[in-house]
Amino acid sequence: MATTQPIHHRELAPQEMLGRSRIWTLVMGLAVIGLVLGIVSYARELTGGMVVTGMRDVGIGGGATWGLYVAFLIYMMGVSFAGITIAAMIRLLKLEQLRPVGRIAEILSVVAVVLGGLAIIVDLGQPLRGLVNLFRYARPQSPFFGTFTLVLAGYGFASLVYLYLGSRRDAAVLAERPGRLQWLHRFVASGYSDTPEERERHDRASFWLAVGIVPLLVVASSTLGFVFGLQIGRPGWFSALQAPAFVTLAGVSGVGLVIVLAALVRHAEHRSDVLTPAVFAWLGKLMLGLLFVYVYFMAVELVTATYAGSEADADITAALLTGTYAPIFWTSVAFLVVPLGLLVYAALAKRWSIGMLTAVSVLVNLGALGKRYLIVVPSQTHGTLLPYGEGSYTPALVEYGVVLGLVALGVLMIGAFMKALPVIELQREEEVGQDA
Amino acid sequence: MTRYAMVIDLDRCQGCRACVEACKVENNTPQGSLWMHVFRLEEGTYPSTTMSFLPRPCQHCDNAPCVKVCPVGARYKREDGLVLTDFDRCIGCRYCELACPYGVNVFNWSDPAEHQYLDWDDPDLPDEVRGSVPPWHNPDHDVVHGDEQRRTSGGGHAKGVVEKCTFCVQRLERGELPACATTCPVNAIIFGDTDDPGDSVNAEIARGDAFDLLPEAGTKPRVHYVGGKHPTRSAREIERVEVEV
Amino acid sequence: MRTVTRRRFVQGTAAVGGAAATSKFLFDGFDTVARADEVVDAAMAQLTEDVVPTTCWVGKQDCGMLARRVNGRVVKFEGHPANPLNYGTLCPKGQAQIGAVYDPNRVKTPLVRTNAKGEPGTWRSASWDEALELVAAEVNETRARNPKLVLWQKGRSKAKSFYDTAFVKAIGSSKLGHGAYCSDTGYRALEYTIGLHGVLHPDFRYTKYLLSWGWNITNAGGNKFCWLTWPRHLLAARERGMKIVHIDPRLRSAGPFADRWLAIKPGTDLAFALALCHELIANGHIDEEYLTTYTNAPYLVEDDGMFHRGDGDEPLVLDAATNSFVPASQAEAPTLRASTSHNGVAVKTAFEVFAEHVEQYTPEWAAEVCGIATSEIRRVAREYGEEAVIGSTIMVDGVEVPYRPVSIMAYHMVQQELGFQAMRAMLIVSMLVGAVGAAGGQFSDKTWKIDGKYTSLDEVEIGDGPYDFTLNKSKFYPINSGHPGLVAKVMADPERYDVEELPEVAILHMVNPLGSFADQDAFISTYEKFRFVAWIGPWISETADYFADVVLPSATIEKYEGPMSATDLYVDAKSMRLPPMEPLFESRGEIDIYLDLAAAIGVLEGEDGYIAQVNKALELEGEFALPLRGRPEVRDIFDRWARAQGIEEGLAFFEEHGVWVKGPVKPTKFYGYATDPVFGGVVHRLYGESLARYQKEMKARGVDDLYAVDYTALPMWREPTMEQSPGDYDLYLISYKLIEHKQARTSYIPLLNEISPGQRLDINPATARARGITDGAEVWVESHNAVTGETRRVKTVAAYTEGMRPDTVGMPHHFGLWTHPASRDRGPTPNALYFTGEGYTVNTADQSFHVKVRAYPEGGESA
Ligand SMILES: Nc1nc2c(c(=O)[nH]1)N[C@H]1C(S)=C(S)[C@@H](COP(=O)(O)OP(=O)(O)OC[C@H]3O[C@@H](n4cnc5c(=O)[nH]c(N)nc54)[C@H](O)[C@@H]3O)O[C@H]1N2
Ligand SMILES: Nc1nc2c(c(=O)[nH]1)N[C@H]1C(S)=C(S)[C@@H](COP(=O)(O)OP(=O)(O)OC[C@H]3O[C@@H](n4cnc5c(=O)[nH]c(N)nc54)[C@H](O)[C@@H]3O)O[C@H]1N2
Ligand code: SF4
Ligand code: SF4
Ligand code: SF4
Ligand code: SF4
Ligand code: SF4
Ligand SMILES: [Mo]
Repeated sequence: MATTQPIHHRELAPQEMLGRSRIWTLVMGLAVIGLVLGIVSYARELTGGMVVTGMRDVGIGGGATWGLYVAFLIYMMGVSFAGITIAAMIRLLKLEQLRPVGRIAEILSVVAVVLGGLAIIVDLGQPLRGLVNLFRYARPQSPFFGTFTLVLAGYGFASLVYLYLGSRRDAAVLAERPGRLQWLHRFVASGYSDTPEERERHDRASFWLAVGIVPLLVVASSTLGFVFGLQIGRPGWFSALQAPAFVTLAGVSGVGLVIVLAALVRHAEHRSDVLTPAVFAWLGKLMLGLLFVYVYFMAVELVTATYAGSEADADITAALLTGTYAPIFWTSVAFLVVPLGLLVYAALAKRWSIGMLTAVSVLVNLGALGKRYLIVVPSQTHGTLLPYGEGSYTPALVEYGVVLGLVALGVLMIGAFMKALPVIELQREEEVGQDA
Repeated sequence: MTRYAMVIDLDRCQGCRACVEACKVENNTPQGSLWMHVFRLEEGTYPSTTMSFLPRPCQHCDNAPCVKVCPVGARYKREDGLVLTDFDRCIGCRYCELACPYGVNVFNWSDPAEHQYLDWDDPDLPDEVRGSVPPWHNPDHDVVHGDEQRRTSGGGHAKGVVEKCTFCVQRLERGELPACATTCPVNAIIFGDTDDPGDSVNAEIARGDAFDLLPEAGTKPRVHYVGGKHPTRSAREIERVEVEV
Repeated sequence: MRTVTRRRFVQGTAAVGGAAATSKFLFDGFDTVARADEVVDAAMAQLTEDVVPTTCWVGKQDCGMLARRVNGRVVKFEGHPANPLNYGTLCPKGQAQIGAVYDPNRVKTPLVRTNAKGEPGTWRSASWDEALELVAAEVNETRARNPKLVLWQKGRSKAKSFYDTAFVKAIGSSKLGHGAYCSDTGYRALEYTIGLHGVLHPDFRYTKYLLSWGWNITNAGGNKFCWLTWPRHLLAARERGMKIVHIDPRLRSAGPFADRWLAIKPGTDLAFALALCHELIANGHIDEEYLTTYTNAPYLVEDDGMFHRGDGDEPLVLDAATNSFVPASQAEAPTLRASTSHNGVAVKTAFEVFAEHVEQYTPEWAAEVCGIATSEIRRVAREYGEEAVIGSTIMVDGVEVPYRPVSIMAYHMVQQELGFQAMRAMLIVSMLVGAVGAAGGQFSDKTWKIDGKYTSLDEVEIGDGPYDFTLNKSKFYPINSGHPGLVAKVMADPERYDVEELPEVAILHMVNPLGSFADQDAFISTYEKFRFVAWIGPWISETADYFADVVLPSATIEKYEGPMSATDLYVDAKSMRLPPMEPLFESRGEIDIYLDLAAAIGVLEGEDGYIAQVNKALELEGEFALPLRGRPEVRDIFDRWARAQGIEEGLAFFEEHGVWVKGPVKPTKFYGYATDPVFGGVVHRLYGESLARYQKEMKARGVDDLYAVDYTALPMWREPTMEQSPGDYDLYLISYKLIEHKQARTSYIPLLNEISPGQRLDINPATARARGITDGAEVWVESHNAVTGETRRVKTVAAYTEGMRPDTVGMPHHFGLWTHPASRDRGPTPNALYFTGEGYTVNTADQSFHVKVRAYPEGGESA
């Protein structure tokens, strides 16, 4: 046999590692159910029309024309942004400590892009036309184009390239071993054989790609923020802070999801060897920084909205602080502020417990989703500039179903990847040597 | 060249909503789709109460945010001032609706053919009526309009597209005034060509009390108001319509 | 008629075959992805388009319309540009009526009831022949005994009602109008006082100061018109500087058009008018010339309230020229104010009596009663008096007429217990300054035409029972014009009213008592008593649903009706409703239906037959008269009429032009001062001597004070009976029309229901909050009958408005129907809360849209 190379126990093929994980099977099972629910829900939307959602026209329709889907889309775009940023930073700044989560970030980014894209499609009244016309009649001047084309293409392309470049090497390693997925690994490796020269070229390519990606990221994320931030017709959105705030919160939620996934992998694949507490501490500090900035933005926004806002802004603020949206608003704020407190405590005490970090991450993600929802919805129901009375929006079951389906799809994608390729970069020999 | 504009005289408007109905019948909009809305507003407390009416079609903005945001160019501005929607191209993203400060866009949430008020599928209706949904279906909406040759007039075309006031492009092509302006019992809606110095619409726009809705939005509307005043945030809407989509 | 043939036509979609079917199934609408840019010039897509004239079928003024047709199908109605009523415009109902025409819920064939009456009907279709025979048999069965026991009833009539009254005459039946619902009190007060059939409206061309007295300016008719002609006149006057003082418990009626709003307490208009009279006299704003020349103000009145006639028949006046007592018609200069004696009899002029009578009605007093500030009352009186410029004249089209640019618009608001006298008092306000029939002053009808009731109402011979079922000439309601509500009371308890014979067969046409009339309960128990009920209408009305034995489907707009006046007061014109298409389904136009009915009953032909009556009613004589034999074509009837008017082309003229504009109305036709003789030759009754006489006769016959109390020569304030309801019924309930609806008939049009979705309780927020009633929440409204103690309640939703008096709540008309899918579940009708009869109606009205109620939130029953 060609395999003379000793196989480090940490370099078991992914499926072998997962083979022992019941959690994985359970999660995948649930995800399949979720996906089916999602498909059924979407089928209802397609056949019955979007009247089956809770969305309605702004104005005399008394509703919100963008709802949960768009909130989810923005959230996902944020996650994807954060994922790809982390991946790029690792390479650009040579953050070796974070290397073990690099691939997690890349996967997250790709999955988020896909989910975001799908969220757009499910939000279209004419989805098939959308697929055709968005390209056929693309108007780059439209901020929508920014969200859709730039973000999707930019993030998606960059993440995919990363993922591919990285996985290629691992695949090359794995391809040399027999197994059920050998064909796949061969295919992914596609000729790459991990020679030092190749490795050298690989590293250079990754670096320059990162250099190229950064401005693209900033532009794309800012447009996304501007989709909302520059909308004069929508009080509550016309805020210069939107873009930076958007990017920051994206970072918070992205880092959070990386933490959650890392914790899961650590548990499911028993990788406490690479996913060390130090890695988590690093991520925790990163999140602390981002969260601190975001909470600052939030405070500024609140103050300006309460004191300097237009009457329409004031109405929205009232709806947020004390009105219809107060429960979601304060819950979201709590989900962001309490974690900040916990993180500050952890920093001071220098104790970064993985459990706490995971909990914090889940919380900030729920908070972020809440905040996305609150950017999208209240300004439609409570921020009309003409005296249409108050509107209201409650997502319908169909919408929850579709979003659940999307999340499930994301989980399935990640699960499949875990099964097929190492979710943590295989360590290079010399590194292994160093490590040992 | 022709550049259309509308002036609404709030000193005359009776708040009667004939314009709303004329628009509906002319444009065959389905149930729940009102392209014209007439606010009935109330301010102050008893006995110092004041009331006002405010008809609100699409403002056909010269600097239209809805046009800017449309990702596929389905919403577009014409040289004659009209802001139109190509319902064959619209993908139903509803971004225009979100971007419009005036709340004039209407999405077809359900299948419009099945949402024309009553079930018109009646075998006892005469031959020439049967199959026209609604029975007052206006054939002008089946054809293309303007130099751009796009289908832009009328409502209720397809599920999942956005529609709105068209300034009655089909009527303008026939040399008629928009349906709302024609029907207004007190001629509160004046419509005309700002590029024609002789058109009475210009004298109206030049009135000292003329104003635009939401000037701060920078949209440069082609619908102007005279008489009355801009509604304030303290105005309460009474007698709201109840749309069922 | 203009015809265009259209070629430029596009095929709708591009997708083909099975793929299309699949995509249609999955992604409905996707098939229009491809731009439909193949402009096809397909011969099959050729459309023929034309425009034909007709008139609005919904409203009571029959605005002129043009119907745009495509291949014979009407696609839109627009206003007729040449019709003076609407000059090319239409109101929301006019626009939306197209939704009613094609309504698949119309009655399609004649129907015969298959279940018991008194509950929602079940039906079987019948042929026209069978249905007509059924009706004819029942009518004839009763006619043979007493034709008056056949009751024909029509509601808000449209166009000239020659064809239906001809039917009534031909079969000799009794007849009920919708009578008391529009403004019966108002009509009777005006007929009695100045001889005009109408209520109050201004001469908008010149008026400068308008008392909009319960005029629902932005929603409803006012006097005579349906709606849109009035606001057009109003705006023209306003742009000339006219001021509007709005006297109404709610502001929404005037919307932005009230220069001042006097939120009067419901039912106190009489008090307000009396205070105005008090002030006008106090300020000397009196047109002595008018009063002495054209009214009975100078007539001498004895202590018993009767005129002083000396030895003759004619009332005497004190002639200042000769300082002698002479019959009124012979006096040169009658004295307006005097208190003297003649032949030992103490006499005062009627004006003196009036002046003394109104002494007590000070602004301070009225302020208390009406809930309006004293200063406001004084101000209105002063402004009204000053603006009247008493003594001035103006040249109108070459005729000099007195100029009194002050006026009142009032109509349905006087449907209140004290309405008749309130209207008299309001008219007297106008009489004091001489504004009646003056330029810029007070009008009532479209032309100055004296109505026969001027005399008959003065000469009612109150008899002893038994009375007929309308209580005509009875001791209960001597002034009486056939009120459905009254008939309902009588049928419920004939003995009480000394009535022996009740009607047996009812033919109902365009009237829906269960939907429109108050009180609803009374009507439900009434119609139960008819042996046989036939209903003529395009839909099964609520009344028909419960009580009709046979339903005869009538057309909506697809029929001939007319001729109708198209004058806007100043331009004279006539128009016609012409069928823009064939009657849908198996429906028929009413004229056809009456022709068929007359034939089936056997009264079509002959000297007093239906055709003869039609000839008489339309004044078709000589060559224009319809032959008395054979069933005429409806078009032919109108063709003859048109030719009889001197229109050579006959009906073709209307088919071509839609409206016959005859030109400006001459001032001599509508300024009372300018007619010949002046005011049509009648004396204006400031003093209602006969009213006082009726009271004596009623009392002599021993009727309860409830009936007799307001038969007084001069309007006299008393507290409305509803005030005797217990204190916790602390709110007044009023009712009114909405601009989107026409009575109950448009509730079947879903286009209108969308913009005016359903019943509500308009309530002042402060009032509501004090009762725990939140905006938009369900609320109970419970009424109380001050005479019988009966209570009734309905549930609706609260609608906050700061434009409502805090002690008043309001519910619009139009809702509470159930037979049509579009009108169902839109909340209750206020008519389920109102009461008719004793305590709510006196002189004439069998209906007041006033009652005391309490309101409490759903769940707050124990309040
Ligand atoms: N849109 C529409 N137009 C209509 C009709 C319709 O159904 N719909 N119907 C037509 C018919 S048949 C008629 S009779 C006319 C009626 O035309 P209007 O007489 O102008 O109108 P209503 O709505 O009947 O009027 C009631 C008004 O009187 C006020 N009111 C109630 N109680 C009192 C009171 O005690 N004192 C005073 N001063 N005001 C009071 C109410 O607030 C309301 O404004 O409208 C005609 N036009
Ligand atoms: N609470 C409240 N009640 C009111 C009023 C109010 O202000 N408030 N207003 C009162 C007044 S002023 C009036 S005038 C009455 C009106 O009361 P109605 O005269 O009873 O009312 P409508 O709804 O006009 O017509 C009655 C019926 O005629 C039918 N109909 C419609 N068109 C045609 C047709 O072309 N041919 C035939 N044959 N039938 C037709 C309709 O289907 C309907 O069932 O209501 C009164 N009731
Ligand atoms: S039709 Fe004319 S009067 Fe009526 S609401 Fe519209 S603009 Fe105002
Ligand atoms: S009013 Fe709204 S929809 Fe109309 S042109 Fe302006 S932005 Fe666009
Ligand atoms: S909904 Fe249609 S018209 Fe509006 S922005 Fe989207 S594609 Fe353009
Ligand atoms: S211009 Fe035409 S489309 Fe626009 S509101 Fe008026 S009637 Fe409707
Ligand atoms: S005002 Fe009356 S008659 Fe004229 S269009 Fe309206 S409903 Fe018809
Ligand atoms: Mo009426």
